[in-house]
Amino acid sequence: MAARETNPNFMNGVPELLILRLLQKEEMYGYEIVQAIRSRTDAVIAIGEGVVYPVLHGLEQDGALKSRRKIVNGRSRIYYSRTPAGSRRLADLSETWSNLAAAIQDVLTGGQYAKAFQ
Amino acid sequence: MPKPFNELRERLLRAGIAPRHVRRYLTELADHLADLRAEEERADRSRAEAESAAFIRLGSADDLAKAMIEQRQFQSWSARAPWAVFGLAPLLILSAAWFIALLILWSGWQIFLPGADTPFGAARVDSFGNLYFQLGKAIYLNAPFLIGWGIGLIAARQRLNAVWPMAGLVLTAWMAGTGQVQASRSAVPGGLGHIRMDFTLGPSVHGIPGGLFNALIIFSLTALPYLIWRLLKALSRFAQSTVSTSVE
Repeated sequence: MAARETNPNFMNGVPELLILRLLQKEEMYGYEIVQAIRSRTDAVIAIGEGVVYPVLHGLEQDGALKSRRKIVNGRSRIYYSRTPAGSRRLADLSETWSNLAAAIQDVLTGGQYAKAFQ
Repeated sequence: MPKPFNELRERLLRAGIAPRHVRRYLTELADHLADLRAEEERADRSRAEAESAAFIRLGSADDLAKAMIEQRQFQSWSARAPWAVFGLAPLLILSAAWFIALLILWSGWQIFLPGADTPFGAARVDSFGNLYFQLGKAIYLNAPFLIGWGIGLIAARQRLNAVWPMAGLVLTAWMAGTGQVQASRSAVPGGLGHIRMDFTLGPSVHGIPGGLFNALIIFSLTALPYLIWRLLKALSRFAQSTVSTSVE
């Protein structure tokens, strides 16, 4: 099986953030989630599609997501939806990510934090 | 299930992932693969090309295994704390089963043989009483075997190293082999009798202490299915490696 190129380690935590955001309004199954990530990030975020499931299962185990089995077009699928705990986790992760992104952007564009690198 | 998923399943189980998590992961991967294949076929690819592209999109076996193994919460208890699952739990379960068996024996003695010096004479009671005593006896005698086979089943399902399961089997067999039930009537007239468990090697059978002899029998019968499973698994791996070597 040939390997698909994936993003490096700094992507840790990003799939979790995107999944919680995607499940804000509707429940989705794994394939739908991956296709939504792909289309909404213009395929910039490239992950082996199967690795989304350990993230989903982990979030479910932590109580951030819940799942239910549904028969659609004769096929049994596991749909995931966000819980109130998941909403709180998304808020925390979003804040952390926004601060981090702003700080990195600042360094790259020579702003306040960039001084430490000069 | 496609062959790559069989390999993935073995890797995950050997890494200590609980079988229920492995089963669900592989089910969802198989569903996802079917969706990807259908998508690729809709893009006018041949079936073989669609299959190949779907596997590439799904991720390499290494990535799929790593993503699951990194999540420590999916580890089974037998991987996290084998000493508890194979050392402590069997002894506790056997103690609980024997407690129930002895409770049945004691209560049967009080109910069906109130004047007797010993409860070991169920033939003298009516059919319901006899059934009651036989239930206790069945629990007492069968519990070590059921526990031993349970240890083998858990170890086989999770592809565990044999050390801890064998330790559990030895401990269970030792406890079961050396355990003896003693019953005695209170010296007080009309008083309640009492029942206790002793753990002793007892008198010799064929030159071997009786308790050790019993333990060896129990160990052999409980370990046998597990050892046969391991042997078959090793033979299957050997056959596969021979086939792949001859193909190369």
